[in-house]
Amino acid sequence: MKQYVLRRVALAVPTLFLVSVIVFGLMRLMPGDVATRMVEGHAYAPTIDALRRDLGLDRPVHTQYLEWVQGIVLRADFGQSYWTRQPILDEFVRRFPVTLELALLTILVSVVIGVAVGIVSAIRQDTVTDYVGRTLAILALSVPYFGLAVLVVVLPSIYFRWTPVYTYVPFTVDPLENLKILTVPALVFGVTRAGPIMRIMRSALLDVLRQDFIRTAWSKGLGERTIVLRHALKNAMIPVITLVGLQMPLYIGGSVIIESIFRLPGVGLFFFEALTRLDYPVVQSVNLIIAALVVGLNLAIDVTYAFLDPRIRYR
Amino acid sequence: MARRLTLIVLALTLALCAAASPVLAQQPKRGGTLRIAEREAPNLDPHLAVSFLTHSYVNLVYSQLVRFAHGTEQKHGGDFTIVPDLAERWEQKTPTELVFHLRKGVKFHNKPPVNGREVTADDVKWSLDRFMTKSGFRARFDPVQSVDAVDKYTVRITLKEPNAPFLNHLANSSYTAIMPKEAEAQFKDFNRPEAAIGTGPFVLKGYDKGVRAVFERNPDYFVKGLPYLDSVVIEITPDASARASLMRAGKVELIQIYGHASIEEGKAFQKTNPEIDLHLLTVMAQGMIYFRTDQPPFNDVRVRRAISLAIDRKGWNDALLYGEGCLVSGPVPCAMKDWRVDPSKLEPAKAKYLGGYDPAEAKRLLAEAGYPNGFTTPAFHWPGYAPPWRSYYDLVADNLSKIGITVELKPEEYGKYISTTYLGKFEKMAIGPVTPFTEVDDFLFGSYYPEQPNNRSHVADAELNKMLQAQRRELDPKKRKAIVEDIQRYLADKAYYVYLPSSAQYQAHPKYVKGFKHHDGYGLGHKLMFTWMDR
Repeated sequence: MKQYVLRRVALAVPTLFLVSVIVFGLMRLMPGDVATRMVEGHAYAPTIDALRRDLGLDRPVHTQYLEWVQGIVLRADFGQSYWTRQPILDEFVRRFPVTLELALLTILVSVVIGVAVGIVSAIRQDTVTDYVGRTLAILALSVPYFGLAVLVVVLPSIYFRWTPVYTYVPFTVDPLENLKILTVPALVFGVTRAGPIMRIMRSALLDVLRQDFIRTAWSKGLGERTIVLRHALKNAMIPVITLVGLQMPLYIGGSVIIESIFRLPGVGLFFFEALTRLDYPVVQSVNLIIAALVVGLNLAIDVTYAFLDPRIRYR
Repeated sequence: MARRLTLIVLALTLALCAAASPVLAQQPKRGGTLRIAEREAPNLDPHLAVSFLTHSYVNLVYSQLVRFAHGTEQKHGGDFTIVPDLAERWEQKTPTELVFHLRKGVKFHNKPPVNGREVTADDVKWSLDRFMTKSGFRARFDPVQSVDAVDKYTVRITLKEPNAPFLNHLANSSYTAIMPKEAEAQFKDFNRPEAAIGTGPFVLKGYDKGVRAVFERNPDYFVKGLPYLDSVVIEITPDASARASLMRAGKVELIQIYGHASIEEGKAFQKTNPEIDLHLLTVMAQGMIYFRTDQPPFNDVRVRRAISLAIDRKGWNDALLYGEGCLVSGPVPCAMKDWRVDPSKLEPAKAKYLGGYDPAEAKRLLAEAGYPNGFTTPAFHWPGYAPPWRSYYDLVADNLSKIGITVELKPEEYGKYISTTYLGKFEKMAIGPVTPFTEVDDFLFGSYYPEQPNNRSHVADAELNKMLQAQRRELDPKKRKAIVEDIQRYLADKAYYVYLPSSAQYQAHPKYVKGFKHHDGYGLGHKLMFTWMDR
């Protein structure tokens, strides 16, 4: 067991190394350069040279890479933003709870809506209810969440002089205000993500409802509610959970736009601003931290499997 | 008779008083909070950032030696008259020596570790020296030989050679904030809210990163009675549609630090929100076609003139800019009224190559230059500029197609565009706007002098160079103005750049916001100093 865990940990190292090289390389391959981006129109040759020197961009690329990696490995120092000159890790830690809360609320909304509509559609297959449910799912799938977000922000401001954009308050300071602020973004994002969940839910449930054990249940004389909720649903949920897991990166990725429109100071916005400003260290380090989180999560899952199922250890 | 005269005078006086009463009602009121929706400033240290957002935020907090006229002091939004700030007066001792006399008794904000101590000449020297070593803009002070504190209230700046634009740079809030050195000693730099300690009209009271910045009136501000506002809050809002919605919903007073709305946005506000006050402004904006004038076909002045004559500026203005734009946006921008020579004041035979429309003549010129059937050229550009810019590129292509020139539009990603095309590194032809500067020298010397990064058209003209240098060295404002006007006369028919119409902007805010006057500099604090709330 110990050996297995050690081997898995050792495997994570080359993965993260590759991520670091790719991210570092990609940033440098992007057209343009951060010094000229910073001065925008106020460019004078001496200004740009001076800025490059200040930022350490005048040194060879491999030196810059080694310095970045060394800082992380030896001192857990993920570097500073070129623009804000603030430590990246501090900023990430400060902003991560916002993005995590948004992602969790979004998942909650999309699962509740998707599962409920999916169940109704499946048990009322080929009725008007089913068609309405399926149409809604296709609509949710085809409306881009960023478009919906803009409409939700702009339209009520024109017609009702009201807009669901607030000044962010952390959950720890005022939980009710915090939930009020996050409800609309989570609803907008969650509704558009509910589409695929509804479709998977419906087809999985239809599949299960045709199986022998369900027929047995019917013949025992059990009621519809018991059959669907107690027997069929549990079995049909497996692909839904897999889908939610697979969509996890989408929730983080989508937070970029949602956070920007609804003024939420999360990681998505931090990353997006850094990307548009060619803030190399921020993009590199945030990418690497997220990659490390994903690798860490997978590692934890693998280790849990190994713990639960001894056969995995010896494979 | 005398009694009747007295009565008439009395009646007239009463009538005048009655007429004047609305003016009396417009006496500024103290109090209130002004909320601005704007993107976040990347940094709070004005020397560690070159972003206009940083410089606008911290302009509420810091003062300079001198500044531009604002509010009730300014004649128009492009007025760059220099007025006292921390220096109550200054003298040009010799062509290379400027002496500034500081106001006495000006105190820094009452925040530790400075705790409201008096500003002295040492602070000014320390801040300007820090600017010259740390700022990304330090090349702006290349003409400076030294900064010396002569005594507690006197600062001497010695230049290497006479430089007329220098005082304007000194007044530009992007460059020369006066800061206390104790704050740097304690906080390492000025990039944190506690370290933002200046002598400006507002004190930074709270800053929640990514959320909002709260500024309160400086009770000890050295201009008595100002500012009027109790506080200013910047609600950090990255998205433009969210910013406009916040104003519609009455949650902010300005949708960006300039309080601007595009013409389209302004027209939309007119329809949906009659309570929003809209003023049309000529803002510092310039749009142009630029060329490799060092290579064929654009090294031939006839080709460049043909292109200028092919642009239907009036039709363009009517169709795209609601007829509110300025037809020829250069060489000196329309908003720089004190320096600009309007094309109508130029010799018509030459001015037609600056703003005229004559496709037949354009075709004739092309044929004369050896292109009777026109030619094909790329046009590099960044499609992301705010509307109406996207339509500009199509209009150039359309206008030029009528004289036989096929334009292949080449959109570029922003990072690439701003570090290559924008700095003159492109092939043949490009289209775009330029940065709004505060000094006329930047639009002339910067755009036309060899080796300048903003000389996008690769102009190298010996006769012009002499004039460009001369206006830089001429310290007499009247004589300098004459040279700048000569330069414009000289440039009229050269078509090194083909200037396009520039769009007007609306200034938009609720009617109860008074005294917020548009200015093309970066002095947000100076604008807000004169702003008040009528409610």
